Amino acid sequence: MKALKTLGASALWLAAPFVVAAIVWELIARFGSFPPKLFPSLVTVADTFWKLATAGLLWVAAEATLFRLVFGFLLAAVVGVGVGIAMGRYQWAEDVCLPVVSMAYPIPGLAYAPLFVLWFGLGDLPAILLVAVASCFVVIINTWKGVKAVKPIWIRAAESMGARDRQLFRLVILPASLPYILTGLRLGLAQAWRILVAVEMLMSVNRGLGWMIFGAQEFLNTDVMLSSIAVIGFLGVLLEKQVFERLERYTLVRWGMMAA
Amino acid sequence: MTGTARFSWKAFWRGTAGVVALMVIWETFARSGIFSAALAPPLASIAISLWRMLLDGTMPQHALYTLGRVVLGIALSCTIAIPLGMLMGRVRAVERFFLPPVSVLMPIPSLAWVPLFILWFGIGNTATILVVIYAATFPMVYNVWTGVRSVNPLWLRAAAAMGANRRALFRKVVLPAALPFVITGLRLSFGRAWIAVVGGELLASPVWGLGKVIFDAKEFLNADVMIAALIVIGAVGLLCERVVFQALEHATVARWGMVAAAKR
Repeated sequence: MKALKTLGASALWLAAPFVVAAIVWELIARFGSFPPKLFPSLVTVADTFWKLATAGLLWVAAEATLFRLVFGFLLAAVVGVGVGIAMGRYQWAEDVCLPVVSMAYPIPGLAYAPLFVLWFGLGDLPAILLVAVASCFVVIINTWKGVKAVKPIWIRAAESMGARDRQLFRLVILPASLPYILTGLRLGLAQAWRILVAVEMLMSVNRGLGWMIFGAQEFLNTDVMLSSIAVIGFLGVLLEKQVFERLERYTLVRWGMMAA
Repeated sequence: MTGTARFSWKAFWRGTAGVVALMVIWETFARSGIFSAALAPPLASIAISLWRMLLDGTMPQHALYTLGRVVLGIALSCTIAIPLGMLMGRVRAVERFFLPPVSVLMPIPSLAWVPLFILWFGIGNTATILVVIYAATFPMVYNVWTGVRSVNPLWLRAAAAMGANRRALFRKVVLPAALPFVITGLRLSFGRAWIAVVGGELLASPVWGLGKVIFDAKEFLNADVMIAALIVIGAVGLLCERVVFQALEHATVARWGMVAAAKR
């Protein structure tokens, strides 16, 4: 009984801010100075959301967005981890790449968007490439730091026990730098996610959540825009909770590299 | 562990070789005729347009507008985020009320809101600055909240045992202890805001701004101007990160001994 009560209380706490926000929104929508087309009531938004969801449009858009996210991020992960490991392991690679990487790192990936449009046209290819470019630098930098941070004594111990280069890499360096690499991948995926929506707006891809928002702007369909933003928020929370936290649990904690 | 990075000529020449190699690749790519010269300009014409725009003062003015938006946006977001984060860290009810909406809004990319802000507030400055505020607020709230919660409880008890009242406790113990997190938050906020402002300027098209330069240059196929603007964006971002924030860190938390001077 008591457990039920605390459960009810925490559900109430969870719902409270959203209920308050909904009431404020509704008051502005009904009595504020915005025209209803620009500031629709929540009933309209919910209705539109339901229509879009049942017609399948939201899922098609979400699927296209996730497809780009996955491909762009995979490209960034492969290139980023590869370059980062090379930079961490070989001094010459570090010397050659570090100036280039640290010059490119602070340029927001989105600023390349118009250039990529000129080069590759509109559509999926430049969007995926841009997402990859935008998210690979943070992966490179973290991987590099991780490989550099492997305790030299572990390497020497493994070497004195006769580990060959490949074994050294697979059994010592890779596990030891994994927390950093995973941090880099996590940051890279977050970066890709933040940029992808805007990329879709600028590249006018033929479907996608960002494009849906941008297209709805032309027709003043604020309710469609808010529905897409809701899906974006939902996917964002899902990525954070399901992908990252799970990844961390399965690898780091199990291998004892980090406390649970 | 490399220790303090010592300057070595070997590393310097190798780094130069990397940069030169990149430039050579670009130059051959530009002259190969895969893309026309308007789309992939050779280095000389990029340098010329950069120099011309720097000299006639348009580029500095664009950069100042962009920076101004970032600074204003971060300042406004701090006035929301720092008190909110502190209250969330200190008062249980505030934390329980605001944490769910913050964690729902945080993963929504700020740029997703641009078209909506444009509809509400028109194209131009307001929409762009609002995007910056949205981008900068959440890392700040999150860091301040974490900072206030992670104040060493021993310090709190010690101060309380020595008779500090609530206000003194807050001002003398909680605030300085949370400051490293506030500065980290500021750094993160700047990184996010810098991306958001460029995106905002691309989409919301105010009159001035580095993003606007890129957007306009696309219309006229001036790839050299676009790349010049990219270089300025990167340089200003790097300068802010390296000079402003490291100086800030040195002047505050490092001097007070709150962090081990941030580097080894």
